[in-house]
Amino acid sequence: MVFEKRRSTPIFKPLNKLPATVSIQDLGSYLLEVGVALLRAGAATKRIRTNLRRLADTYGYHLDDHIEPRALSLTLRSRDHEQQFTGTRVVHGQAINFKIISGISRMSWAIVEKPWTEEQLWAELDRLKSLPDYPRVVILLVVALAGSAFCFVYGGGLVEMAITFGATFCGLWAKQELVKKKFNPYLITYFSAVIAGLVTVLFSFADKTLGLEHALTTSFLFLIPGVQLINSISDLMDGEILNGIDRGVNALMHALGIALGLSTLIYLFGLHT
Amino acid sequence: MDAFLTILLKSIWCGAAAIGFGVLFNTPTRSLVAIYGGGVVAGLVKYSVLSLVPEAGVIISSFLAALVVGFISIPMAHWRHVPPVVFSIPSIIPLVPGVFAYRTMLGLVRLTKANDENFVSTVQLMTYNAVNTLFVVMVIAIGVVLPMYLLRKESVKNIRW
Repeated sequence: MVFEKRRSTPIFKPLNKLPATVSIQDLGSYLLEVGVALLRAGAATKRIRTNLRRLADTYGYHLDDHIEPRALSLTLRSRDHEQQFTGTRVVHGQAINFKIISGISRMSWAIVEKPWTEEQLWAELDRLKSLPDYPRVVILLVVALAGSAFCFVYGGGLVEMAITFGATFCGLWAKQELVKKKFNPYLITYFSAVIAGLVTVLFSFADKTLGLEHALTTSFLFLIPGVQLINSISDLMDGEILNGIDRGVNALMHALGIALGLSTLIYLFGLHT
Repeated sequence: MDAFLTILLKSIWCGAAAIGFGVLFNTPTRSLVAIYGGGVVAGLVKYSVLSLVPEAGVIISSFLAALVVGFISIPMAHWRHVPPVVFSIPSIIPLVPGVFAYRTMLGLVRLTKANDENFVSTVQLMTYNAVNTLFVVMVIAIGVVLPMYLLRKESVKNIRW
């Protein structure tokens, strides 16, 4: 009972009458796996904590967690303090994946309504992880179209839109190849910006009458670290200052990669003169 | 009428840009239509404000656009059964100040090249572009997360519409 007084207010009303249907060890391992999946997919700290606590509360355990952008530790305790589980997992790399974030959120709500068995939990997580990405060619085409859309919005004409389409396509293709070869993420951003910009510059050299600015300023926009930036602000607003700074600096490093890529082209082709 | 048509066209293309980022972030297919709508709304708000109240400037118009997207992401999250960020992040990407950022870099490189009579005006222009880039990025990020804090709920599920 002392424990009940000490614990922070549960986010969701715990189902006191429900016997724990999943053992503390199994749920602990599962929560670590869910947390890692959310961190990799690009969820903000509060979202991860809310999802994990929702699951732990549902099965009648108390959760203490420590979430960093590249590591996750958690301790689960049974209400009578008889059982305890502690575990840590390190997260390698990040691949923004909103299907995982929304899938896990939906799952956690479904479990609150009717707790699942351990087999059901793992089956759903495996299903979410194995959900296919969009086909590569679709991603390339749609993102390239987004590049031309940007170009139009910023005042570009049809020819510039076509150039941006090609530049974004090549830049993103290069990025995907570099990711496969496991290059440093910031270097990937730099080289992708250079390649996207290079395509634009070469097209413009072919036709000197073309204005360069609209196409060049929009050809690298697919590299914007939007998710990291928004997560950084969310974390800072939630008081997760260290995580907020970590994510903010990460976004800044990517922005620096883009800026250096642009500077390289500006120097190489004398665009500043 | 022409101004209205331009705003509409730009907004339609903002939606296309938003879908591109939705696909890039591997967003569930069921939310892509909502993301397109979000991009269109972001464009409509930003360019309407810029057109109707030119003195508002790009910072305030971008903030308002991000704020509106942040608010509509809540009913959209209910409708498509996805967390609001899944909808709001791709939708606000079209507001990113690419041209300001590029001109800032251009100015920086120019500064390294020549210490001539144009130096001061280059610094002036570069600072203007840099400050605008910084502020627009900041207000977009703050604008889009602000509604959840204003409504003071842990989860979008607890908000009734």
